[in-house]
Parts: sequence; structure tokens; C-alpha cells
Amino acid sequence: MVTRIIHIVLSPLIALVVAVFLLGLSRIVIARIHRRYGPPIYQPIIDIIRLMNQQSISHGTLFELGVVLALAGSIVTVLFIPLGGTNAPPGSYPLAHGLLCPLSSSGGLLVVIYLMLFGPVSIALGAGASENPNASIGVSRKMLLALAYEVPFLLVILAIMSHYGTISIAEIVSRQQDSAWGVFSVPLSAVAAFLILPAMLGIRPFDLVGAPQEIASGPLAEYGGRYLALLTIQNGIQVFVVIALFVNLFLGGGVNVITFLLKVFAVFLAAELVSAVLPRVRIENALRFCWTWPTGLALAQMIITVVSR
Amino acid sequence: MVNPILLIAVPLGLGFIIPLLGLIWEKPTRYVPAAAMVFNLAASLLLLPKVLQRPWVVETAGLPPPFSIHLVAGPLGVGLSLLIALVGLLVAIYAIGYVREGPVAKYHSLYLFLLTGATGMVLTADLFNLFVFFEILCISSYALVAYHGDRAGTESSAKYLIQGAIGSSLVLIGIGFVYGLFGTLSMADIARNIDSVSPMKLFLPMAFLITGFGVEAAVLPLNAWLPDAHSSAPSSISAILSGIAIKAGLYAVARVLFTIYGADTIALLVLVIGILTLLVGEMSAFSQNNIKRLLAYSSIGQIGLIVFALGLASALGVQGALFLVVSHALAKSLLFLSVGYMIYRTGSMEISSLYGMGRRMPVSALCFTIGAFSLVGLPPFIGFPAKFTVIMAALERADPLFTALVGVVLVGTVVEGAYFFRIVQGLHFRPPPESATPARADQEEAPVSALVPICLLAALIVAVGVYPSVLTHYLGPAARDLLDKAAYIHHVLGP
Amino acid sequence: MLPTTILIVAFGSAGFVYLAGRVHARVRDTLAVLSSLVLVGLIGLGYGAWREVVYVPDFLGLELVLRLNLLAWFFAITVAAVVSLSTIFSLSYMRRKESANFHYSATLAVEGAMLGTVFAGDLLSFFIFWEIMSWSAYLLISCNRGRALEAGLKYIIMSLVGSCAMLIGLLAMYSGLGVLSIPLVAEGMQAASPGFVLLVLLTFGLGFGIKSAMVPLHTWLPDAHSEAASPFSAVLSGVLIKMGIYGFVLLMYVVVGLKLLLGVGAGWLTFRHILCWLGAITVVVPTFIAVLQSDAKRLLAWSSIGQIGYIILGLSFGTSLAFAGAIFHALNHALCKSLLFLAVGAVEHNTGGVRDLNDLGGLAKRMPVTFACALLAGLGLIGIPLTSGFVPKWLIYRSLIEDGYPFLALAALIGTWGAILYVYKLLHNIFLGQLPEKHREVRRAPLSMRIPILLLGLGILVFGVVPGIPLRAVQDIGHTFGLAQLKVTLWGLGSEAGALNMLNICLAVVIAFAAAFLLLRLGAKGRAVDQEDSYAAGSAVPVGRYHYTVDFYGPLSRMISPYLRDRADEFYYWLAARGREIADLTRKVYTGYAGTYVLYIVSFLAALIFLQLVWHIW
Repeated sequence: MVTRIIHIVLSPLIALVVAVFLLGLSRIVIARIHRRYGPPIYQPIIDIIRLMNQQSISHGTLFELGVVLALAGSIVTVLFIPLGGTNAPPGSYPLAHGLLCPLSSSGGLLVVIYLMLFGPVSIALGAGASENPNASIGVSRKMLLALAYEVPFLLVILAIMSHYGTISIAEIVSRQQDSAWGVFSVPLSAVAAFLILPAMLGIRPFDLVGAPQEIASGPLAEYGGRYLALLTIQNGIQVFVVIALFVNLFLGGGVNVITFLLKVFAVFLAAELVSAVLPRVRIENALRFCWTWPTGLALAQMIITVVSR
Repeated sequence: MVNPILLIAVPLGLGFIIPLLGLIWEKPTRYVPAAAMVFNLAASLLLLPKVLQRPWVVETAGLPPPFSIHLVAGPLGVGLSLLIALVGLLVAIYAIGYVREGPVAKYHSLYLFLLTGATGMVLTADLFNLFVFFEILCISSYALVAYHGDRAGTESSAKYLIQGAIGSSLVLIGIGFVYGLFGTLSMADIARNIDSVSPMKLFLPMAFLITGFGVEAAVLPLNAWLPDAHSSAPSSISAILSGIAIKAGLYAVARVLFTIYGADTIALLVLVIGILTLLVGEMSAFSQNNIKRLLAYSSIGQIGLIVFALGLASALGVQGALFLVVSHALAKSLLFLSVGYMIYRTGSMEISSLYGMGRRMPVSALCFTIGAFSLVGLPPFIGFPAKFTVIMAALERADPLFTALVGVVLVGTVVEGAYFFRIVQGLHFRPPPESATPARADQEEAPVSALVPICLLAALIVAVGVYPSVLTHYLGPAARDLLDKAAYIHHVLGP
Repeated sequence: MLPTTILIVAFGSAGFVYLAGRVHARVRDTLAVLSSLVLVGLIGLGYGAWREVVYVPDFLGLELVLRLNLLAWFFAITVAAVVSLSTIFSLSYMRRKESANFHYSATLAVEGAMLGTVFAGDLLSFFIFWEIMSWSAYLLISCNRGRALEAGLKYIIMSLVGSCAMLIGLLAMYSGLGVLSIPLVAEGMQAASPGFVLLVLLTFGLGFGIKSAMVPLHTWLPDAHSEAASPFSAVLSGVLIKMGIYGFVLLMYVVVGLKLLLGVGAGWLTFRHILCWLGAITVVVPTFIAVLQSDAKRLLAWSSIGQIGYIILGLSFGTSLAFAGAIFHALNHALCKSLLFLAVGAVEHNTGGVRDLNDLGGLAKRMPVTFACALLAGLGLIGIPLTSGFVPKWLIYRSLIEDGYPFLALAALIGTWGAILYVYKLLHNIFLGQLPEKHREVRRAPLSMRIPILLLGLGILVFGVVPGIPLRAVQDIGHTFGLAQLKVTLWGLGSEAGALNMLNICLAVVIAFAAAFLLLRLGAKGRAVDQEDSYAAGSAVPVGRYHYTVDFYGPLSRMISPYLRDRADEFYYWLAARGREIADLTRKVYTGYAGTYVLYIVSFLAALIFLQLVWHIW
């Protein structure tokens, strides 16, 4: 019971710290690739503190509620994703510890898919309450982009759930730790998932949702001050959640938190390297891309999985 | 106990008295048909329970059958005369207020003759007598169709006359053949001796009889007079024609086929004719813009369904046919009667001019809706158990052919539903056309003399629909009366 | 006695309400609301007192029976609740409308017919009440006039086709089995031949499929539900199409039975598979058509078709999880969709009839309660955790995935994503964004509209957090059909691998919300501004034109709308046009020339004689 409570507090905390770290890291990586210096790695912390102290505007209850709900949703999602650790008997792996996933037995991967909706939907509501059409356009793009990546993403998830025969992420992780990683057992799905990773993270080439030059930051157009601070944190945690999911499904999680976080860092780096050199695409192109290559690969993998069972 | 012969004698006598009365004082002539039908109704109601088991054979000239004209008051005969009396009464009450211009006394006299003819047809046991009453019915209806005296009425009546006359002649020729073959005109006697003649020789008179009676019964392709006649006649006449007259013709066909000939073998032909009549009738009704023409075509369709039911040649089939006869008589008269005053108010028979009548004449519109729904076969109206019985009879045999035929019948139902639902919507929910005269609330609804029969018919439709056992109790014996040739012969001619 | 009493009250009050309306509108309103509430109470009282009552001993030689069991009770209470809330809503909506009288009495009549349908203990009663329900619903749809007339006609004709199919099946059963009482029919079917079972399934399936708007029999629904008056749209979408679902349950689980059902068909082409795939198509295609709509009620109507697809998918899949999910979703959809229709009705009422999504906006400020509940209902349709929509969808997905049908699961999940799209479009275009000038004076929804909306919202929330209440009932129903027991707890499903515990999720969300809220309070407060004070990249805000609603999902619409034409609808119109041509052609038999007619008579006679001479038919 006590362990449970510790885990419940620890998980989001780890997520928060790593998220902020990843946000800072992304700016340095992109800057270095662009042959610049980039801001220091603790820049996001400075930004957040400054934003918290800055006065801003509010458009009403829903406007503020959207922010709070989004952050709450992201935090809750973290509780359902294993952040390293293993359920194998103690001693099978060096430096292993119990699975760090407080709510693993309350619904599995299906709940996670739904909880991942909390953030975007809440931001959509808050952005709608912004009374700014830039925000509305941004949300429209966000919804369409989500539809775009959701089709291959669902195919990937279903292939994995079919392959491992379970809906519990913890189960999937331990099966990968026993045999082979997901990258090797469902390779096409892994490739498809990596192709849509930028879309799910909201980075180039799919950063059209918060396109500053086109629609004034999209959903975030009217948000400033403490709201923007919370949304930054939420964005970071969302990024962390997506990558953590990817690591759990395809790279076998981690036997302890450190290994896990190293894998997260690696995947993040890979995604940012891709993002650094690509331009932004239009939403039609995003739809078309996501519904051809990643969908095709994921579909192929699913057919193979179904047939070979 | 009331002698069944009074069922014919009273209307006939009163029919002759009306013109004489009219010479003296016109006003009470309007009430005479109603009075006659009240008597008939009461008499039939009293007779019906008595004759359920065993028909009452009435000898007219003191001679035992088969030597003179006889009446056979069996469950079918008395039941049908009950129906004739009921519908006749209600339409007569309606006509009290509806028929105002023209030779009113002659109208009522001819009307009584029409009903006499019909009652006589269903009660008689003699073939030539059947023809005589058939002619009384037909000639009265020829004249009544032309009652308005306008161009349409006269033309329709003329066409009806031509075709009806040909039909009657064919019947006469057929009777002549029969007499030549058997030497007797009593139906029971003919039935008894039917097997002694070769089928080939038998078929010719039967073909003539069927065709001749079929003209009045309105089966395809003999029913071409019906759309014109029923749409140009005054509404009360349309009601009685659609409700009673064509049923009488159908009765004649059925009697000939079943009781005299015992026709199980040509049942398939009857079925096919029935289905074709149904389809052609319903489809022709579909795009009509004239409400009375539409109702006339709908009658053709329903007759097709009744013939289909008869063609099943089973007890349940004939019960279904009789149930449909009652259901259609009630519903179609209701439809014609309620539409009558609507047409009178708007001055046009176009359906588009009836839009919005639900507001001006709520009771009439409501009763029209009840009649329409009953005809389509929706519960809780009488049309539903009627159609249900027919389809039950058809599917009793578990034969894929019959299932397919039932499918065709139901296509007809869907087409029927399509046009009736459109009309009902138009009545209640469409705005009235701009050319309509503005409504005057006090004068809009039909007068009491019209509302009483309309509401009574609607009430009957609902009552029997909810408790069909009231009717089905009598259908069994009536069906047996028609189908069971041996019993008929036994009852009429003795052991 | 109770089922009979309920029906008498329902139909009787329909008549009295109409008469009361002739007297005074207030009397009628009170009577209508009172009757609908009395019906809810009576049905509630009937819980547990399962019985069978013969109410007409002789109808064409058959006994008519009413019976009350858990399945009937579940649907009956849903019907009664939704209709009573819709009636309360009508108090304001229908005030001073000319068809109000008819509306109230017909709604009660439709309710009576629906209750009769679920209480029917033999198939003839079922059919009778089914027909009464169909035609009274048609009258009620049509009484909204205008475009509702064509919509109502389309509805009743398609419904009639379904009823005729059912009649064939019904009478085939009667002639084959000799009985129509449901338990006896179920017994008889076990011994019937596979061809017979298939005939029954197809004929009844056609009837129920049309009523529950399964693709490709769905084409009547978008017109009918969008053109009917809003309170009745709520009833239509909420409970009338569930009658088709009830019919499916009756057909597949009670009459035919699960064992027999799973065996119908050969190899991959089984009835169950085909129905599953039809359900899957019904989930995906109408959902995306809904995304393209710009009329609020039409969007909701297409959404209904999509959600029914889930229920059909779950029912035809046949496992205990899927069944539980399907029936629970029937309840959930009833709550959510009626709430949404009532909310849109409230907006329509307050803005003077505006339903076009391109014309509205920003009404959350003026109608906060309506918005909050509409939001809840929208989330319930999507299936967000903590609303009553989450558990049924979770159950269906889990069943599909665990039994190895990932493609069906994909269809179901994509349907959810489509739902997110159209729910957001609906909510945004009506309630969010900028408030147009012409709607500045829109007032809050009247109390009699807010009460049903609030109650429904409360229901969605309660059943979302404590799903055990409906799950227990649904589970018991499934158990009576021979499905496996589910371990149902108050908060979800019991502990097995992949259990569901809503309490955990709820607590987690609450705690996380508290944490996020505290974090927010640490920062500097924001200054409240009105909608004109908005970011416009430095230029002046174009007041009154600074709102994005038209072509909300433009890029997607352009991509997918060529593929999303309602081909079934086009086909049916084509069929009707051909039918009309044939009918016109047939009429030409009656040429109008007397000579032709005489020719007919003579040729008929000749044909008869010819037939006899050549084929000796006599």
C-alpha cells in the first residue's frame, strides 16, 4: 500500500523532471544541428518560472479549466505506463526492481489510448473558449492530425495486442523482456510507429498545429502567463508519455528506471534528429502521408500477425 | 322467427313505394331506405345465430327443392346480408343529407333496388334467380352512377352499361348452357349432378359464367369500368358500389366456382388472376391525383387480394377472403363517405386541393385516416387481422411458390401504403392551397347526418380490429357454407 | 396485471391528453408530464416482479401474452425515462406551437407502443405493437411539417417493407411450429431445419435492421431524425431505434438462441460474421459522414447510425463481454444522444430556430448549463473515462481484441476517433468561439429544458463513475441467455488480467486535477477580457467576423467526401423512380376507350377457353 503511494507520487515526478529536461534538450540538439549554440539545458525551467510570474489574460472558466484538465490528464496517463522495472522474479536481471506502474491493473492499453485523449481534448475545449479563430483553426488541424496518425497508430497497437494476446502493457513488457524486443518481433509496426512519432509529438515535419508563422501558435494563441507555463509542462509530459509508450511497446521497457530513461533519451534524440532537418508540411500532406506509408506498413504487419496465429 | 324472404321483400316493396310517396310528398322519401335497412339489419341479426349450424331453406312456391326457386339462408347468406344491411343503412343515413339536388325520390328508390339485388343474390339458391337479382343490382347501379347528370357521370355510366350488359349476356348464355346440360336451375341440383357431364362440356358454361359475373366482380381484365364509374358517381353511391356491389359479384363467382363446380383444380388460375388484379390495381392507384379514382383503383387492388385468398381454396383462405370482404366494405365505404363532404367543400376531386383538410374537417379527416390505415393492414384496425388471416392461409402450405406469391402481395401492400400515407400526410400536415376559400369554423365540418355513419364505421373498424374474435366466430361456418359442396347439397335437397 | 396496467395508462393518457388539450393547454401539459412520470414509477415498481399475463385470450385463435422480465424491464425503464424527460422538455419547446396537442398525445402513444413491444410475450403482440409504434412515430415526425413530410414518408415506407418481411417470417414460424408464444417458439426452433432458421433470421433481421438503421438500411434516419421536432428527435434517436436492437436481442438470443445462431452459415460466410461486418461498416462510414455535416441535427442523426453500429457489432459478436458492452452502450447512447438532441433543441429554441452550425457560436457564455451537459454527453459518445460511454466501448474493444478480430476492433476504434471529430465540431460551432452579434441577447435555456438536460447529464456521470449498477443488470440478462458470467464489481470488472476499475481512474483523475489546480494557483492571476480583446497579429479585430466555423474540417472534407456519398440512398431513390415508371405504365391498361374494354372481356373469355382446350386445366 505504502509502495503504491510512493509509486503514485514518484511516477509523475519522474515524468515531470524528464519532460522538462527533454524540452531543453530538444532546443540544444536542433540548435547544434543548425550550427548554433542554443540555450542552456535548464532554459525551460527559467521559462516556466518567468511565465508563472507574468500576468496574462483569461477568457473565462472553460479557458482556465482546459489547461488544468489537460495537465491532469497527462499526469494520470503517466500513472498507467510502466516507467521501467520488471515483474520477473528478483535476481533475473542485474539492478532490476519491481515494475514502476502504479495503476497497471486498471484497464491496460485501451485505457491509456483513451487517457491520451484527455490532453488534446481539454486543450481543444480551452482553445475553443479562447474566442480566437486562430485557436479554432489550430484545433481543427490538431483534430485532423490526430485522425491522421491515429489510423496507423491503432493498427500498430492492435497488431501488438494481437501478437502478445493481451491488453496489459505490463504483460507486453515482461513478454518482451523474456523473448525478443518488439522491434524484432513486429518490425513493420515499429517502423510505422517511428514514422508517425513526429506527428504524435507535434514536432517537425508535423508541427502544423502550433505553427507560429501561420496561425499564431494555434490553440495556444490566447494563452500566456501561468496558463502557458502549465501547457508547456503538459506538452513535455505528453511527449514523454508518447515516447515512454513507444519504448514499452517496442524496446522492451527497461529493467530499471535508468535503462528505461536511457532508451527514452535515445528515441527522443532520433526523433529530434529527423525533425531538425525537415520543413513543415500542410495538413493535407500530413493526412495523405500518414494514411499511406505508415498505415500500409502497419496493415501489413497486422495481416501477418493475424495469419500467423 | 323472421322469414328470410322478408329480407328481400321489404326493401323491394319499399323501393316501389318510394316513387309513389314521392308524388305526394317528397321529404320523407329520404328516410325510407334507412328504415328498410334497419329492418334488414335487425332481421339478419336475429337470423344469424339460428342459421349457423344449419341453413334455413325457404321454399317459395310450396314445392320442395329442386323444383322451384328457393332461398338458402345459411351463415354465409345471412352474414353477407347483415353486412349489406349495415353498410346500406349507414350510407342511406349519409345520403339523407348528401343527396339534395336532382330526382331525389328516384335516387332512393334505385338505391333500395340495388340493395335488394345484392341481398337477393346472396340468399338465393337458384341460378336464374341469381341472374335476376344480379341484373337488378347492375341496372340500379348503371342509373345511379349517372345520377349527377354531368358529362363525366354520363360517360362513365355508358361505359359501365356497355360492359355490364355484355357481362350479363354472357351470364345468360352460360345459364342457358347449364340448363341445356342439366335440365335444372337449382344450384344444389346442378352441383349434385356435376360429375355426370364431361369436363370439356362443363368448362364452357363455367367460363361464360365466370366472365359474366367477373365483370361486376371487377377482376382483371374485366374491371375497366370501375375507375370511371366509382369516381364519377356521387360519393354515397361510390361507397355502396365499392363496398357492396362488387362483393356481390364476387360472391356470385365464388358460388359458381366452389359450390356448383367444386373448383379446386383451377385454384391456381384464380390465384394468378387475383395477384394480377392486385398488382395492376395498386400500381394504377399510385400516381393518381384524383382522390376518388385512386380509391376506385384501390378497390380493384383489394378485390385482387380477396380473389387471391379465394384461390387458396382452403378453409382458412376462404375465411380470410370473407374477413377481407367485411374489412374492405367497412373501410372503403368509410373512405368514400368521408371524402364526399371534403370534395363538396373544396369543389374539386384533386388530392392537392384536399391538403390541410385536417384542420377544417378534423373528424372526417381522422376517420379517413382510420379507414386508410385499416386498408393498408395496420393494427389495431380490422384490416390487420384480415390480411393476417389471408397470409396465414397462404403460408400454411409451406410451399416456396406460395411464399413468393405472398411476397408479391406484400409488395402490393407497400405500394398501397405509399400512396395512402402520402394522402394522410397531405390531409393533416400540408398547408391548404392558396386558392382555397378561407375557413369558417362553424360551417366547415360535415353535417351530423354524415358524421354519424362515418364515426360508426370508424368505431366498428377499431372495435373489430381489437377484438376480431367477434367476427371470426361466424367466419368458420360461413366459409364452410361456401366450400363444403356436399353439405350444401345435403342441406338443400335433403339426404 | 402490471404490464397491462402500464399499457392501459400509456394509451389512455394519450387519448386524455388530446382531449385535455381541447380544453386548456396547461391542463394538457400537466397531464402529459404526470402520465409520463407515473409510467416511470410503475415500471420502476415492477422491478423483480417477473411475470406473464394473458391479456387477450382469443385473437384469431392465438393467445396474446405480456411478460415482464429483466430484459424487458431494462429497455422499458430506458424508454420511460427518456420519454418523460422529453415531455418535460416539450413544456417550453412546444409552448404556443400549433401541433402541441398532437405532439403530446402521440408521444405518449408511441411510448405505449414501445412498452408494448418490449413487454410482448408472444410474437403476434410484438408485431402488433411494433406496427402501432411505426405508424404513430411516422405521424409524429410528419407533424413538424415542411421537409419533415418527405422524411416521414421515407421512414414509414421503409418501415413497412421491414414489417412485411417480418410478417412473412412470423407466419412461416406459425405454420412451421404451430405456436407464437416466445418460449415455445424458442423450443421449437431448436429442432428446426437450418434453412428455416435462416429464413427466420433474414426476414426478422431485415425488419429489425431497417428499424435500427443498420447500413445499408439506414437511409431514412438522417432525414427523419433531423426534421422531426427536437423533443421527438431525442425520443427517436434515444429509444425508438433501440427497439430494433431489442428485436435483434430477442431474435438472436431468445428465439434462435446462441448455440444455433453461431452455426448458421458455412465457413467464413456465417450470419454472425456478416452481421459483425455490417456493424463495423455502420460504425465507420456514417461516423465520417457525420463529420462532414453542417446541420447540427443531421450531424447527430448520422452519429446515431454510427453508434448503433457499435451495438450491432457487440450483439452479433456474441461473447459475454461484447454483449454486455452492446447493451450497456444502448443505455449510454440513449442518455447521450437524447441529451444532445435536447441541447440542440434548446439552442434552436432560444435562437429562434437556428440549426446551422455555420451560423452559431460562443453560446457557452449564455447557456452554461446546456453547454456543460452537452459537453458531458459528447464525451460520453466518444467514450472518455468517467462518462458512461467508456465502459461499454472498453468491453467491446477488449472482446474483439482478445478473440482475435483486430480488424473489427480497428473499425470500432476508428469510429471513436471520428466521433471525437464530430463531437468537437458540434460543441465548438455552437458553444465555443466568438458570440455573433445577432445572438448577443440569447437567454439561458428555460427551467423545464434545463431539468431534463441536467438529469441526463447526471445519469451519464453516475453511470460513468459507478458502472457496476447497469453492468450488474446487463450481466444478469446475458446470463439468462447462457453467456458466461462476468465478475462485476461496483466500479467495473473484477480482477483478472486486464480488469477495469473505474474507482482507481476516478481517484487518479481527481488527485491529478487537484495537483494541477494547485500548480495553477502558484502563478500570477489572469485578467479577464472579453471576446473583442483577442489576438489578431497586430491588426484590429474584425468584430463580428472573427469566428471560424465554416468548413471546419475543410482539408478532410475535400479528401474524403467523394467516397462518402450515401449510395444506398441513391439506390433506393432510383428504385422508387423505376417503380413509379412501372406504375404509370401499368395504369395505361385502362385506356379510357370502351371498345378496348369490351375487347378485354371477350379476350378473357377466349383465353379461358383456350387454356382449357390446350392445357386441360379443369
